[in-house]
Amino acid sequence: MRARHRGAAVAIALALAASACQGASTGASADGWTPPRTPDGQPDLQGVWTNYTATPFEVPDERDDLALYSGDTDGTGRGTGPAAFLTDTTGRTLAKGRSLVVDPPNGRVPILPWAEEQRTFKLLHIQDHWEHHTPWERCITRGVPGGIFPTGYGSGYQILQGPGYVAIVYEMIHEARIIPTDSRPHVGSGIRLWNGDSVGRWDGDTLVVDIANYNDKGSIATNAATQRVRSIPQSQDLHVVERFTRVDENTIDYEATIEDPKVFTAPWRVAIPLHREPDYRIFEYACHEGNLAIPNTLSAGRALRVRPR
Amino acid sequence: MKTWLRSAVIALASAAVTVAAIETMRAPATGQTAPAAVPRTAGGRPDLNGIWQAMGTAHWNLQDHEARPGPVLELGATFAIPAGQAVVEGRDIPYQGWAAAKQKENYENWLARDPEVKCYLPGLPRATYMPYPFQILQTAGNDILMAYEYASASRVIRMGPAEPPPVDSWMGQSTGRWEGDTLVVDSTGFNDQTWFDRAGNFHSEALHLVERFTLVHADLVDYRATIEDPKVFTRPWTIQVPLYRRRDANAQLLEFKCVEFVEELMYGHLVKRTGAETPFGAARLRWP
Repeated sequence: MRARHRGAAVAIALALAASACQGASTGASADGWTPPRTPDGQPDLQGVWTNYTATPFEVPDERDDLALYSGDTDGTGRGTGPAAFLTDTTGRTLAKGRSLVVDPPNGRVPILPWAEEQRTFKLLHIQDHWEHHTPWERCITRGVPGGIFPTGYGSGYQILQGPGYVAIVYEMIHEARIIPTDSRPHVGSGIRLWNGDSVGRWDGDTLVVDIANYNDKGSIATNAATQRVRSIPQSQDLHVVERFTRVDENTIDYEATIEDPKVFTAPWRVAIPLHREPDYRIFEYACHEGNLAIPNTLSAGRALRVRPR
Repeated sequence: MKTWLRSAVIALASAAVTVAAIETMRAPATGQTAPAAVPRTAGGRPDLNGIWQAMGTAHWNLQDHEARPGPVLELGATFAIPAGQAVVEGRDIPYQGWAAAKQKENYENWLARDPEVKCYLPGLPRATYMPYPFQILQTAGNDILMAYEYASASRVIRMGPAEPPPVDSWMGQSTGRWEGDTLVVDSTGFNDQTWFDRAGNFHSEALHLVERFTLVHADLVDYRATIEDPKVFTRPWTIQVPLYRRRDANAQLLEFKCVEFVEELMYGHLVKRTGAETPFGAARLRWP
């Protein structure tokens, strides 16, 4: 009985996910809602959006080592951040789906074993070197698309549009991502970037962003809520395609397809709804300026080297 | 006699040209209508969209300064500091007595005290004339985005009446309005952690900044910023820094995420040494 209920729930979730994908690919919602336009005719995505959700990043598996992924290797409950976030600072009742990973269908990111080994090594050795921390803890970036993977706080995104550009201001680590929408070629292959080089175009009412030219110093995901995927490396071959489709007044369907043959056995896709939040106020997140996480962790490591437990 | 006359004519002519140029720069900043030739947005405002950068040496020192060697002996001439003239109207910053002494102390302890050395957020108006480009995005809505390449800093300027800032921050809170064809940006809510340049010029959390962006022609913005801080200065003072459009065919903001360039400096003493981390480990500091 219980198993059957679960099966039904999964079927419903899959059906919902499928319809969401369909909506996104046609660039129009089922009830024919069409987005407002900017004066130069772009679909208007402007405003402040948040992405709080109760849906887990991956479909959970009993072999998942949750304490390790959240940075709580001693099992003391003192992790590196909120792993579960069933609250929403905006007061919305959160929908809980099966997983934000919608492809492959099992809801699990197809990570190559070496990449999981590297992640595990880094998570177990954060006291030795800052390079073992994710770029978020180092206050460099949460990455692209990782900066839109839902986390517990600082989840405001302001979209602004001007002629030929869409800009996304990320509250978390004060990123201002400026996306040209003229399908220009990517910068030369000699230029490698933490967040890659974003080039956009409009596909109907959907903003499609192609991202390449990544460096190999970042992580595809940086926050504890992504569990097994947190601290998984990104290679220079990483290629991401994002799709932003405003499906109704208050919702943008966001999708990212992630391809990195050095790290994953197959491309995978996440789908995350963004909620319009006109009253949400984005505050400056001056991360590096007050970063005590890195020096305190390294200092603890140094103390342990001098006097091992 | 003839030579003397020619020189005089040339001198007069160049003086006239200079005056004319200065007048063109000055006229629009008073809030009068700019020449109709400037490009305009669909909404009829001067079109500030694009990538801009200051030239000159304001980022080294807002005031008059001589050339001097850089702080690292091995870098020789490559990172030496060029001379420059003051961008401050009236040349000198009107510090209160104690503050003049503190600026001098800051100057003498530049590397230890300048927040830029640690890749901290630059604050304003410093972000505008750092040696990195920044991009202005004028939206059809009510906001103007200024995104700076340095440290991924940015600010969203909300058009409308100034509001009291809820909290102090590194980049402050900016509200904007149009005075004729001049974009006037009013900012408060700063902390006291940022500097104006690499010469230790500084402010307190009482900083009130009024910036004026006037498009002189398609590729030149007349930028003026009036700095008011009764805790540090005896009166408000103004800087003028022209901003030039980056006309490179492929101009775009790249990343200057400098945190990774300062981790060794800030945290190096806390990690296990392998001996491989500091390629410049042998370099000697010439000063301070």
